[in-house]
Amino acid sequence: MVSDTVSYTGRRIEVDALSAEARLVERAQAQDETAFEQIMNLYADRLYNYILRMVGNPADAEDLLQEAFLRAYQGLPSFDGRASLSTWLYRIATNLCIDHQRKRARRVQTVSYFAWEDEEGEPGEWEFPDTQTPNPMESALNRELQQVVEQAIGSLSPKLRTVLLLYDVENLSYEEIARVLNIPMGTVKSRLNHARGQIQKQVEAYLRGESK
Amino acid sequence: MNCTRYERWLWDDLEGRLSVAQAQELRQHLQACPHCQRRWEAAQVTYQALRTLPRRRAPEHLTQQVWARVQEASARKPAFAWWKRVALAPALGVLAAAAWWGWLAVNSEHGGVSGTATASQNADNWVEIHEQLEVADWSPTPTPSYFITTGYTR
Ligand SMILES: [Zn+2]
Repeated sequence: MVSDTVSYTGRRIEVDALSAEARLVERAQAQDETAFEQIMNLYADRLYNYILRMVGNPADAEDLLQEAFLRAYQGLPSFDGRASLSTWLYRIATNLCIDHQRKRARRVQTVSYFAWEDEEGEPGEWEFPDTQTPNPMESALNRELQQVVEQAIGSLSPKLRTVLLLYDVENLSYEEIARVLNIPMGTVKSRLNHARGQIQKQVEAYLRGESK
Repeated sequence: MNCTRYERWLWDDLEGRLSVAQAQELRQHLQACPHCQRRWEAAQVTYQALRTLPRRRAPEHLTQQVWARVQEASARKPAFAWWKRVALAPALGVLAAAAWWGWLAVNSEHGGVSGTATASQNADNWVEIHEQLEVADWSPTPTPSYFITTGYTR
């Protein structure tokens, strides 16, 4: 039983989990389709939420998620097993989102992140984390606040949005983000500060009752 | 009072990156400064909200759809290679002819009007292609309508 942990990119991750993932990658590289499906299952939700907040449109996000996994599958043979799988996948997803936004730069996005519909055209369900309060009044306020934050995220430039989402929402470390975006850590930190400052400003206005 | 200094500390404090002495200094300042107190509350709320944003499940049937794309992509590959081979020869021919016309136009003082026109058109095309590549930077800041929240009711 391995109980040691290693300090890995600023966060402590179980050695076991890392080597399990490495084995999974090896199997996928050896054309084991179930291994690649396991990788998809492991990362589908994380990548989907990231892509969705990057592009703001569920249909495009689904398409980009599929494309990301296709690129990952095609890139597997050249994937260096020593690199982190999650960093690599976020990098693929980020590049796709950037390309997508370049193509769509002139179009106005009108699809709401909050007011989305499922396949049957019914209002879709959000999954709220455990912090959801049982008090309906409080949870309505939470939702309103979350809406303010979502809007603030949407109004960030893509450069700032990427870093903020990866750090504050997807929980990647500075080092991991620097590798995903291929930029220096100092740039990651300064973009994060800018992004947080902008969101915080809008939250502060909301708290003071200025946003209505 | 140096509020900027303390504003910079707020997020570090939330992430536990301040020393004990710094954290203490910050607390003292917050008690004395309503401005920073408001900033502090906003930072705290923002920090918490970002970490508890609702998340969606990835669409169903994802794996099947990805496998379908994999098959589609591998089926497309040979056809593309064949198309490339057929298209490459004439394309190279056209390029060579264009280069030759360009060379003629530049080197001949009486090089006919049509030759000069071809050369400058070529140059324009290259500038255009180059600009298209240059444009490949980030898109402009999204408009506020980026996340219109129509379906939300209190
Ligand atoms: Zn102050």
